[in-house]
Amino acid sequence: MDNKDKFLEENEHLMSDHDYDGIRELNNPMPTWWRYLFYLSIIFAAVYMFRYHVFGDDLQIDEYNKEMALAEANKPKQAFDENNLSILSDAASLDAGKVIYSKNCIACHGKAGEGNAIGPNLTDKYWLNGGGVAEVYHIIKVGKPLKGMLAWQHQLSPEQMLQVTSYVLSLQGSNPPNGKAPQGELVE
Amino acid sequence: METQHFSYDNKIVKYFAYATILWGVVGMLVGLLAALQLALPIFNFKLAYTTFGRIRPIHTNAVIFAFVGNGIFTAVYYSLQRLLKTRMFSDKLSWVHFWGWQAIIVSAAITFVLGITTSKEYAELEWPIDIAITIIWVIFGWNMFGTILRRRADHLYVSIWFYIATFVTVAVLHIGNSIELPYSWMHSYPVYAGVQDALVQWWYGHNAVAFFLTTPYLGLMYYFLPKAANRPIYSYRLSIIHFWALIFLYIWAGPHHLLYTALPDWAQSLGVAFSIMLIAPSWGGMFNGLLTLRGAWDKVRDSATLKFMVVAVTAYGMSTFEGPMMSLKWVNSLTHYTDWTIAHVHIGALGWNGFLTFGMLYYLFPKMWKTKLYSEKLANTHFWLGTLGMIFYALPLYWGAVVQTLMWKEFTSDGFLAYPNFLETVTQIVPMYHARVLGGALYFIGLFLMVYNLLKTATKGSFVDNEKASAPALHSNPKRESGEGLHRWLERRPVQFMILATVAILIGGAFEIIPTYLIKSNIPTIDSVKPYTPLELQGRDIYIREGCNTCHSQMVRPFRSETERYGEYSKAGEFVYDHPHLWGSKRTGPDLAREGVPGGKMYKTNVWHYNHLLDPQKMNAQSIMPAYPWLIKDDLDISSTPAKIRAMTALGVPYDKEPYPANYDKIANDDLKKQAIEITEDLKKSGVDVTSDKEIIAVIAYLKRLGKDISTKK
Repeated sequence: MDNKDKFLEENEHLMSDHDYDGIRELNNPMPTWWRYLFYLSIIFAAVYMFRYHVFGDDLQIDEYNKEMALAEANKPKQAFDENNLSILSDAASLDAGKVIYSKNCIACHGKAGEGNAIGPNLTDKYWLNGGGVAEVYHIIKVGKPLKGMLAWQHQLSPEQMLQVTSYVLSLQGSNPPNGKAPQGELVE
Repeated sequence: METQHFSYDNKIVKYFAYATILWGVVGMLVGLLAALQLALPIFNFKLAYTTFGRIRPIHTNAVIFAFVGNGIFTAVYYSLQRLLKTRMFSDKLSWVHFWGWQAIIVSAAITFVLGITTSKEYAELEWPIDIAITIIWVIFGWNMFGTILRRRADHLYVSIWFYIATFVTVAVLHIGNSIELPYSWMHSYPVYAGVQDALVQWWYGHNAVAFFLTTPYLGLMYYFLPKAANRPIYSYRLSIIHFWALIFLYIWAGPHHLLYTALPDWAQSLGVAFSIMLIAPSWGGMFNGLLTLRGAWDKVRDSATLKFMVVAVTAYGMSTFEGPMMSLKWVNSLTHYTDWTIAHVHIGALGWNGFLTFGMLYYLFPKMWKTKLYSEKLANTHFWLGTLGMIFYALPLYWGAVVQTLMWKEFTSDGFLAYPNFLETVTQIVPMYHARVLGGALYFIGLFLMVYNLLKTATKGSFVDNEKASAPALHSNPKRESGEGLHRWLERRPVQFMILATVAILIGGAFEIIPTYLIKSNIPTIDSVKPYTPLELQGRDIYIREGCNTCHSQMVRPFRSETERYGEYSKAGEFVYDHPHLWGSKRTGPDLAREGVPGGKMYKTNVWHYNHLLDPQKMNAQSIMPAYPWLIKDDLDISSTPAKIRAMTALGVPYDKEPYPANYDKIANDDLKKQAIEITEDLKKSGVDVTSDKEIIAVIAYLKRLGKDISTKK
């Protein structure tokens, strides 16, 4: 094993007199780059603490408020006034409404709006929460969570909510098979 | 100086080594099961005892405290005797330590299977076992210190510095985090609540990694690496600096587990700053190890022991760089709650702890059985299987974590979450869970080869229980000699050394935990937050029993992507009655902090919860959540209600103040039954027929309470 001997010879001047169960220790200095890495990390830590807790850079809640404000500012402009809604009657809008309905509504209101164990019939003239365009739009938007109706404003844009409102209202009087018994008040 | 003759106790080392192997096999096998359960939920077997929520703590505790724990004791009992030229202080203490520790492990496995847990990660054991751990740990320390005080070598070697720091700090952490008020023979509530409980828990949890998985293994490395390579330690000076820096700084970094939570900002920032400062001290250990191999790299090629050690030390360097990076808040905002964390800890566990243990065992068996290793070739195969296993384990999880976190955060141009359905983001990464099983299996096969190889080695050799040794008697002069360095002197003064190490590790924890009690503004109270009803409290304890917090967090971070998905971000004042906190650390399923907000984004009806807990796959075919059918079969044990109310009152929950009537504990069950009937009747309306005395009613009551308090404020 002359390889080993050579190594030990070369390092003889660094060898301490320590001997623990045959383990020796060299007196090499700490690697320079290691020391600088340590110093740098200490500087980082100091700057970090000063930046946020002395110079008052944004903490997490300020960060959040800014993020929300930015999202609000970038929100697509609403094309219509929610306080003054009118039914869409063009075929394109109704088709779009039908697609949204098929994807989201049939589980509780039936394929043709006939209603089922969970949701009421949407094709008759009886309404639990009002049958005007403003009322239907509103219930779609904010829902009735305790009864199981979701608030769709978190998943649908205002245009989409109006499209599906218009589609639902277009089902009035369609009288599909297996229609659920009327619930709520008669709206003429 | 007269030469004294004595013997080393090898038998105890052998026993600890066998225990290490046995628990390694068990712990990793349970880990494989847990991995399978996440890939294919049928492996939960629809049995209470085998659901992921109970299996996961068995895996983590078995690997940490049983496998690595016995690994630590193997290393300490072998190296301490030799470094100090003396036999262990007391054979009796050694054996009490050994059997006591194994009994604790067995009791842990049994209680976890039964769902007896405190919910606090890596501290899930209940109070009687906590006391047993304290006693056995003190016996270990007593035995170790007795040995140190009877030594025949004047100076303590760096390994022993690490062993001392380990002993002291683990004792402090374990006791500090386990202060709890029992309300029955097997159950308790922690004295800390909410934010403080979280802070204390992660002061403990983080430093369990530091002082159970790291410092003792650095001690192990400092002994076995130079021994196996037959090379001197690269730098004595580096070992001094990195030792003291490491133990002092580590304690402060706990809050990095709680970034962007309701923990006060200043504590979070300290967690970030100290984590970054830990890079160099950690790397000091890695480089002192790797540079010790200078001039011996040719040996690495031929020796499986050294190969394992080199990869172990490299894995240590990788995870101690990755950890501080994950502590930067912006990185953490992406990686936290994802599988990135799981991959990260497995680089540490499989790479650093696993491989270093294997390296040590491959060194120890031939040494203690006075023979050659049965097969170097098998050991090499083990090495490559293990390395491949690690890669196949970690890479899919890293990839899955990136995919999932980006999906969680993506918005459409209309300003909606692109993936509002949490399940979509899970389904996307399930293939990664399958790949992870493969990685774990490879690693496990490797382990099996080792077991075979070591047993063969043992049968081939001959074991000597008491190895003869001799050394001159020690005549130590307590005074500092002229020209003797201060640290060199300290190395001869074990008691002073221990006191100094204790001071070093107490500072950080004290500085971070005490102010949260003294400064009122740190946890602003919210008037609308009220104690849980008796039924909700019972439901919460079932939530804990089933380990729901293993996969569901209750901490909405202040990000748009989270408040859009879950609802308002969590506030410190919401948790003042939460003994323990249930913030969680991983989102395998969605956050539940806002589950009960009426009209909220997460709100579900009673009947939904009922059907979902009964069979999640029936509601969502792709769900990986286990089913909990026994919640519907089993009656709720309401005999515990009075004791629970009394314990909570003693901890400061105001069941003894207005509007509660006097002696509320005695009549709490009336309220409980009333609320249970209300829920049952609502379920009946939806066509579910269940009696009001079942456990599921309590769980539903608890889930519907989550987040409700702050929503009623408006």
